[in-house]
Amino acid sequence: MVGTPVFLIAIPLLAAFLIPLIGMIWKESVRIIPGLVLAYMTVLSASLYLFILENGTYVETIAGWQAPWGIDLVFSPLTGLLATIMTFMGFIVWLYSYRFKSNVEFEAAKKYFIFLMLLVAGSVGIVITGDIFNQFVFIEIVGISAYALTAFYTGRNSAEAAFKYLIMGSLSASALLIAIIIVYAQLGTLNMAEIAANIDQMNVHYRIIAMIFFIIGIGVEAEIFPLNGWAPDAYTEAPGPVGGAFSGIVVKAGIYAMVRMMFTLFDISGPMKILIVIGLVTLIVAETSALRQEKLKRMLAYSSIGQMGLVLVAFGMGTKAGVFAALFLMLNHAIIKPLLFLSGSFLTFNTTEKYISQITGMAKKMPVVSVLFALGALAISGLPPFSGFWSKLSVLTAAADENLMLIIALVLIISVIEIVYYFRVINRLFFFEYDESVSVKPHKPGFNGMIALFILAGLILLIGFYPASVTGYLDLAADDLLNTHQYIDKVLQLGQSIIQ
Amino acid sequence: MDTAELIRLGVYGTSILLILIGLYAVLTKKSLIKIIIGLSIIDGGIHLLLIGIGYVKGGTAPIFSPGSEDAVARMVDPVPQALVLTAIVIGFGVTAVALSLIIRLYRHHNTLNIDEIKNLKW
Repeated sequence: MVGTPVFLIAIPLLAAFLIPLIGMIWKESVRIIPGLVLAYMTVLSASLYLFILENGTYVETIAGWQAPWGIDLVFSPLTGLLATIMTFMGFIVWLYSYRFKSNVEFEAAKKYFIFLMLLVAGSVGIVITGDIFNQFVFIEIVGISAYALTAFYTGRNSAEAAFKYLIMGSLSASALLIAIIIVYAQLGTLNMAEIAANIDQMNVHYRIIAMIFFIIGIGVEAEIFPLNGWAPDAYTEAPGPVGGAFSGIVVKAGIYAMVRMMFTLFDISGPMKILIVIGLVTLIVAETSALRQEKLKRMLAYSSIGQMGLVLVAFGMGTKAGVFAALFLMLNHAIIKPLLFLSGSFLTFNTTEKYISQITGMAKKMPVVSVLFALGALAISGLPPFSGFWSKLSVLTAAADENLMLIIALVLIISVIEIVYYFRVINRLFFFEYDESVSVKPHKPGFNGMIALFILAGLILLIGFYPASVTGYLDLAADDLLNTHQYIDKVLQLGQSIIQ
Repeated sequence: MDTAELIRLGVYGTSILLILIGLYAVLTKKSLIKIIIGLSIIDGGIHLLLIGIGYVKGGTAPIFSPGSEDAVARMVDPVPQALVLTAIVIGFGVTAVALSLIIRLYRHHNTLNIDEIKNLKW
């Protein structure tokens, strides 16, 4: 091991405070140090993940206070997998945004990279913490850095998008705090494992009220309908790589908080149709809205919301196959959607409006980026042999096992809608003539950006041709989420002794 | 109903009233500054609720000191107070970010009226 899980939070926070100071002496450090920190976080979480696969879940107690009293960080097959994906995507986004647009300036780069690092640290914190109030704090860290990153460009409408996001974010955080108060007043604990163990003692009315407040509180980060009004604006107005970071990192943390709350805290594994209902509404509304968008990034944002709806539907089935399919979808979405955002950002580089019509015939000018964009589009709409196909197939088989024919029909219809709106873009990109009067001036993509795109494309092809390379890990993660008793025992250190 | 319970109900009622007043301001006011004030009022209500839950009438500080070893039964629950301190700091941070965004919005649109700032539609 190269460290303990607490470094995943402590190192980026420390670096965020030190960067402005070091930046006074050595200007380039504001770009390089965040990259080093994110690379270290990736290596650390990957090595911890491999360690816990061999030795079982690792529970870190902070400052020597044992689990029900102190704050603990839980690094299990599920949280480890998500933390590894998030830190890796954080590194890819850093690689891409190194010297991206106004990041060549010192002041802009300083703010951008500090907030990017805090965004990744907060998202990882949401996933690995074992304490609901701690989770609230991390949700606020993610929120504040996300507002700042959304408002990064002056002169656009970015402040308006950020303000919208801020109002929704802080109202939902208030709801989350109320939910935490209700749980604390009823059970006298903030530890997730102890809440899960004692949830039966809670009055059923308070349980339902607390759950509703939790859904409102977490739903904004998880982009569920109708709490996702911020998402299209924020994705459109934020810098391109930040859109990739939102869809690849922040939303995954929101979804995790949602399912951890639903599966572990409020054990409702029986009639758990509420997640299916929320997911289906989100899916249908988002995909039909994506169909009529004229701006590229807005379309990608709606597509992202729709995918999260599908993830929630798959989680909502509550079976092993369903959870497996949902995690597979999350993994694929975390790889593919950043690829779309990053390559789409290169295609629409010299425009502020990002209309789809402005990239007409760009394949003649920027063939490699266009092919990578098309690869992502084909993968996310679930065409074989790309990775998206396997995850969609596993959703369908999981639904078939449960005899949920309506869901199968809806998912297939939605897939057709996805193909329609992605192929509309691909058609314009490849089969239209380049027209100077409509299209934007092509921009030569940077070297580091192309490396980031090729890494993501390589992962899509790898998972597409060898799905067995990841299914084993996803299987373990699905088992981990469903096994509530094991989680409680591990965190509260009942039964077996823990590995030190 | 004895006095302690009345006080408790009063505290809970006041905090819920504050939350509702703040929500009303956020939802109906047109000025960006007033919306932020509304958010702060909601925060205040929630903090009061948190403190109210941990309050014990006639309680003491949760510190062991010579001469008051019997204080365990009368101690005020310290956890909600720690939570409130954290929540206040977070609320302060969010308000600061919001106000800086309002400055940006005012420079861009030359108004604080939310009805006139609608370049982005859903």
